Amino acid sequence: MRPIDPRLLARALKRFEGVVGAAHVYIGAEARTGYADAMAPRDPASYAPQAAVAPANVDEVQAIVRVAGELGIPLWPISRGKNFGYGGSAPHFADVVMLDLVRMNRILEVNVAMGYALVEPGVGFDDLYHHLVDNRIPLWISAPAHTWGSVVGNALERGIGYTPYGEHASKVCGLEIVTARGELMRTGMGALPGSKTWQAFPYGFGPSWDAAFMQSNFGIVTKMGLWLMPEPEHTLSMNMQIEDEAHLPAAIDALRPLKLDGTVQANPSFGNVVRSLSTRATRSTYFTGRGPMPRSSLEAARRSAGVGNWNFSIRLFGDPRINAINADRVRKAFAAKVPDQFTTTEWHRGEPLPGSGSPVPSLSALGVVDWLGGPGGHLTFSPVSGFSGAEAWTQYTTIRSMYEAAGFDYYGGFTAGQRYLNHINMILFNRNDADMTARANTLFANLIATAADKGWGEYRTHTLYYEKVASTYSYNHNALQRWNETVKDAVDPKGIIAPGKMGIWPRSYRDAKA
Amino acid sequence: MTKPWWPRVIAGAVLFVAVAGHAQDGEKAVPDSGQQNFLARCGGCHLEGGFGTRVLSRRVPADRAMLERRGGLPAGRTRAAVRNGIGSMPQIRAAELDDATLSSIAAYLTRAQ
Repeated sequence: MRPIDPRLLARALKRFEGVVGAAHVYIGAEARTGYADAMAPRDPASYAPQAAVAPANVDEVQAIVRVAGELGIPLWPISRGKNFGYGGSAPHFADVVMLDLVRMNRILEVNVAMGYALVEPGVGFDDLYHHLVDNRIPLWISAPAHTWGSVVGNALERGIGYTPYGEHASKVCGLEIVTARGELMRTGMGALPGSKTWQAFPYGFGPSWDAAFMQSNFGIVTKMGLWLMPEPEHTLSMNMQIEDEAHLPAAIDALRPLKLDGTVQANPSFGNVVRSLSTRATRSTYFTGRGPMPRSSLEAARRSAGVGNWNFSIRLFGDPRINAINADRVRKAFAAKVPDQFTTTEWHRGEPLPGSGSPVPSLSALGVVDWLGGPGGHLTFSPVSGFSGAEAWTQYTTIRSMYEAAGFDYYGGFTAGQRYLNHINMILFNRNDADMTARANTLFANLIATAADKGWGEYRTHTLYYEKVASTYSYNHNALQRWNETVKDAVDPKGIIAPGKMGIWPRSYRDAKA
Repeated sequence: MTKPWWPRVIAGAVLFVAVAGHAQDGEKAVPDSGQQNFLARCGGCHLEGGFGTRVLSRRVPADRAMLERRGGLPAGRTRAAVRNGIGSMPQIRAAELDDATLSSIAAYLTRAQ
């Protein structure tokens, strides 16, 4: 990597202090510890940053970017830094200054009639939840497994939730961007002064750019519009434990037509037995040996915990009469293919939200990192699968056997989009065990390569593996990679915004590597 | 923007007891800022049933898993755990939890019984 000239860094930090105040510039151990990857699969100090600056508003972001451009200081923007398993609050190499947007935490607008919010990057899912609940606003958030993270950051990384609005990236409508030149730009209808439809019509006039600022390093997002789902009158949750794991493909095939035709609008997630067990207890409760848990121990653990080999819920949202009709369709579709039965729970508007299908503030999902006794870490491997039982089964058995050969328990699940499955699996390890972390990294690299050989690509990855994953998207001699680099060089000629994110390096770094 | 977790996370009765514990006779029960900050910023994990409480209960006697019930938790230990992370708990940096707020939380956990 390209080290930052210490004299330039010192000058930049002095000027950053002039912009945000000395209290909001962090250096030395405070930066290295504060912005380390909390779930690191290798020594977190090896990719912890030099310094950090935390602006409070858009003007300060622009001023920082201008200084960075003038002095050639690379910035690594983060929102709240809770993207655990994908790098958390850390950059992917040490020679950057973190641009920490956590203090920009205003909910600028919630439009009840039109069902949207306009938020800054520091707003967490829990913040938005409380804002809606405290103000009795009948709109629901959609959130990933834990609610500590940023609404903006998660959507820009194309995170997934479990309501009908769970494909978060597709609910983004209008961005405000600070460009690498320090200019302020608004996308879509936001480019029209006085527009009333910035958060209503996503496309604007001419090329649409919202998607280009997702999983990219082309600009710094300082505001984001997000559509929010009107609170439903009723929800019906249909829960199934698949006893025989060989019935997973049939269950996936039963769900596909229901997702395609809109009977099921949320994103059901088929989670394996270890996913269910790890939220309840540590592995040593069930098994104290080394290596992956043997099938017999898993089966005994599964029975004592009362969970299936695969477990999932199909949640229906809306009018209770329509939910009843759709539940009948779901039951018929599954009864024709799998022997297990659904149990159901219902929620009616006005009842407490826990159990409704609305996310509620929770960090309990983080408990899985304690599976091996800790101090826990995880690496998340996230290939996309075609929406077919046969392909999901091949992917599952291939990946599971690789986990077990490397000495790990397979922890995973398939979350259903409308025409795809996100196969999100996690290598759980103890961060203080050098042998285990070495095996985790080797396994992760092998998973990327094996998946690519079979035509499976990741939808997202850990910061340390950007380049490896990007290199698998290589059609026609890396045409997409070259396109990304062309755009990067045009919009960020000095290469100061998140160099190397998603494997997109600015020209100066490419030249230095060549 | 961080709002308290407690109105929905813990039962009203538990909150009442916790708050009333600091009230003098005849005074209205007013939670101190350290307690409020603890509930708002740490309550997501460190109240009854939270991730932190559950993970701690695997390592320490049950009555010590709830940080508020430890009594006399040294401020330096709270500060180190928050800033450096500890075990499976991620660190929490100054930009998201400033020193003054952290100090109020640490002081609360020192005096909480």
